[in-house]
Amino acid sequence: MRYLLALILIVPALAQQPDQPAKPDAQPAAAPAKTEEKTESPAPPATEDWLTGSVDFGYRWVGDAGNFQAYRSVVNLGEGPKLTGIDFTILDPKKRLFDRLDARGSGWGGDPYTTAHVDARKQGVYDFNFDYRNIAYFNNLPSYSNPLAPAGFDEQAFDTHRRNTSFNLDLRPGKKIIPYLAFDRNSGYGHGIDTWVQDSNDEFAVPTLLRDSTNNYRGGVRMEWCNCVHVTLEVGGTTFKDDDLSSFSGSNYGDRTTSLLGQTLVLNSLQQAYGIRGSSIYTKALATARPFSWLNLYGQFLYSEPKVDVHYTDSATGNFSQINSLLFYSAQMNLGTGAANQPHTSGNAGLELRPFRRLRIVESWMTDRYHDAASPATAEQILLTPKTLGPNLVTPLNYTQVVNYNQQQIDVLFDLSSKLTLRGGYRYVWGDATVLAGQLSQSGALASGQLSRNVGLAGLTFRPAQKLSLNLDYEGASSDRIYFRTSLNDYYKLRARARYQVAASLMLQANFQVLNNRNPAAAIQYNFGSRDNSLAVYWTPAGGKHITMMGEYDRSSLSSNIDYLGLFFSPGVSVYRENAHTATSTIDFALPGYAGLTPKFTAGGSLFISTGTRPSRYYQPLMRLSIPLQKHVYWNTEWKYYGYGEQFYLYEGFRAQVFMTGLRLTK
Amino acid sequence: MTALFRLVENARAVPVVMAALFTATLCGAQEKPGAAAPAPPPAATQPAEYAGSQACQMCHEDISNAFQKNPHQAVETGNKNGWATRACESCHGPGSKHADSASAADIRNPAKLKPADTDKICLTCHLNQPTHVGRINSGHARNQVSCTACHSIHAHGPNGLVARKLPDINKLCAGCHADVWASFQKPYKHRLPEGAMSCVDCHNPHGSFLPRSIQTVSANEPGCFKCHGDKVGPFTYEHPPVRLEGCIACHQPHGSANPRMLTRSEVRFVCLECHSNLPTPTPGPGGTPTLGTVPPAIHDLRSPRFQNCNLCHQKVHGSYVSRDFLK
Repeated sequence: MRYLLALILIVPALAQQPDQPAKPDAQPAAAPAKTEEKTESPAPPATEDWLTGSVDFGYRWVGDAGNFQAYRSVVNLGEGPKLTGIDFTILDPKKRLFDRLDARGSGWGGDPYTTAHVDARKQGVYDFNFDYRNIAYFNNLPSYSNPLAPAGFDEQAFDTHRRNTSFNLDLRPGKKIIPYLAFDRNSGYGHGIDTWVQDSNDEFAVPTLLRDSTNNYRGGVRMEWCNCVHVTLEVGGTTFKDDDLSSFSGSNYGDRTTSLLGQTLVLNSLQQAYGIRGSSIYTKALATARPFSWLNLYGQFLYSEPKVDVHYTDSATGNFSQINSLLFYSAQMNLGTGAANQPHTSGNAGLELRPFRRLRIVESWMTDRYHDAASPATAEQILLTPKTLGPNLVTPLNYTQVVNYNQQQIDVLFDLSSKLTLRGGYRYVWGDATVLAGQLSQSGALASGQLSRNVGLAGLTFRPAQKLSLNLDYEGASSDRIYFRTSLNDYYKLRARARYQVAASLMLQANFQVLNNRNPAAAIQYNFGSRDNSLAVYWTPAGGKHITMMGEYDRSSLSSNIDYLGLFFSPGVSVYRENAHTATSTIDFALPGYAGLTPKFTAGGSLFISTGTRPSRYYQPLMRLSIPLQKHVYWNTEWKYYGYGEQFYLYEGFRAQVFMTGLRLTK
Repeated sequence: MTALFRLVENARAVPVVMAALFTATLCGAQEKPGAAAPAPPPAATQPAEYAGSQACQMCHEDISNAFQKNPHQAVETGNKNGWATRACESCHGPGSKHADSASAADIRNPAKLKPADTDKICLTCHLNQPTHVGRINSGHARNQVSCTACHSIHAHGPNGLVARKLPDINKLCAGCHADVWASFQKPYKHRLPEGAMSCVDCHNPHGSFLPRSIQTVSANEPGCFKCHGDKVGPFTYEHPPVRLEGCIACHQPHGSANPRMLTRSEVRFVCLECHSNLPTPTPGPGGTPTLGTVPPAIHDLRSPRFQNCNLCHQKVHGSYVSRDFLK
């Protein structure tokens, strides 16, 4: 890895880029496109370098206190040498293999978030994109396991990585017929602690190896006629495999802390293996057309039929029980086979109609249908002693899960004036589902549900001046049928957004959002409400020459009450509350310069404080100092603090000081 | 073919579509087919004529130089759209008057038009592209967020037409969606502030036929499955909410105070709020039958052993072996 790091560092060390790209954790700031245009469109120099770019590297120290597992679950930044960012552009003046190549990456050197991206283009010949992400998922939180587990707090803990790789190649970009090919791969790999469950009497935490991957291949052609009709035909295929594996050897007494009928349950050995293989081929066609200047049409149709074959086995020894027959036994083996296929039909169509200059009518319609057919079968063989066969339970099942979803929506937009646009509309959502009813037995009845919802829509856009804009969005709905107790039923949503450019250097933005959902049905009594108000200030006096400030404050609240059945069917009310304050801010100061070089100091960070059902505090202040040593060499130093605490789960709190120093090289 | 017939089965929208088409035919016949984007108000009686991009370069040299490295340069050099040597006027309209007077009133500036009119200019060329299939019914289109709100038309460089780097994309989106960005400051969230992901990994800003402009991947699956491929299935035992309500039935993808971005502080409430139907076929007079079974009474919910349901029901996104999602 170090050699790779060194190699990557050498190539772009000669590179240059005049302005610094945003740091990964930089806070957002209002960046109107027009401002960018001014700053990013200077006249190019007479002789432009063929290679431009930058590289950031350094060393990070992490000083932590508190629960290190919680720190890794939330932050997960580690110590060591890091290549935090690399970014270069190559312009080939002779335009041989490419006209332009952009490459960038971040988080190399063992960071939990690693990215790489390459764009290469030769005008009229090809357009190539490559993207790679490797994101670590670590999760080991006591509150998420069984705190009374004798084996410790590590149940359902995972230390895994998910990797995404994608290639995309467009041939003849910009032409009327564009063939394209693409490949995507998503995979997961890592270790964890799973649970092996033994007949509801005991469950045993066992180490597991997680391995899965999905490959997607697709190709197609985009065709265009007379700049008014476009058709894309695409064929794709997917392969999937899941080879999770668990094994254990020793004495594991599981989560049960008491004996069962005088006997102690124990797991002595376990071999558990999944062998899941899936595949799918899909066909997609989409079209857009503008037959008249007042009419746009679009439509899309897709058909796919993913299939899965299941091979599963586990064998375990120890002392187990089957409580319904008062049977104790020493070993068991499970074999699972099965298959599932899921024909999926999806289509949508719509149009935009402009009968008059001020009036637009948008109509859309969609349907999405999954009709699964599954035939799982499991066989459980119990061994009373190593040589005596016990009961053999075979459970075959054939069932079909049907999900149909449909939606139709019409919107009418009317420009009351050049500054005010009103919008009204109606959406009807309907569907039905037949699913396997949740029961404890492996076989059983099907359950059916229906969905029927009428939604009224309204909104306005008001721009009294270039500096001020206001958006309002309202959605109110009444449902005749819903699928689940917690589904949206009778609800309204209101969103308002306003932006005001007070002065050239000062902009304000405010957001307001409310969602209210009610289900007054007996034994449900669901009342859900959430509100979110935010105010953002962006201040760049003198064009940001000396100070740039961004500050945001958000106040959100969430309230939920719903009847539920608790202990032994006793009715209760599930109550959830969250009242949160969130603030983020970044202030950049240009420090007094020397020799034409200007150091820069940044201070800011974020805080999150919530009260309610899970009161939490999460602070992330930061300070950053960037000192130019030469014209193309910067010494960057950053301090960041992560402080996390929970009122009810004190042991999950942590405080971590993260200090990083390094160089940024440009030319 | 069967699938096509199935599509038509529930075509309640067809009458509305037909009515709209009929209205359009009656009302829109006055406009000339194939007419270009709206012309600027005439400043004088004599209509402006096309002057060519070279005339623009005389005064707007900086923009012209940047434009030469911009993907839109293909408009200037190619014949596909019929604007060769007149790329500037493909958006700004005929510029002869402006060239003579140098007055801003004599030229169309798309950035100062109504968003719908600005979009119409862009969509003259860009409507018929796959990424814009959902544009018509996207939230951005409905709320009059024009193309130029995100795209810089003349610029060149890494962020030429639009932000490309993941942190820059997030910055651009958060410029309007400050409330959403606040959610990402919570402890449990997708890794956007760290620069490992961007908003467009999950949302298509041009629109999608899924709610909230959710991206689609491969066979029109929700964008969540792009990274969580192990949750797609099909499973031999499906957990219906995954397909019926989507991930947000249990998760808050923008960020949560609860581990694993759950909607509730304790796992059991995430589960029991649905799995609490009364042990009768229907929940009672006036009640709406809903999916979700009765919770099993064998679990002593007073014990921490049973309070995190997915300690045992760990394959809650769907199982290949166990109906109860145990393995």
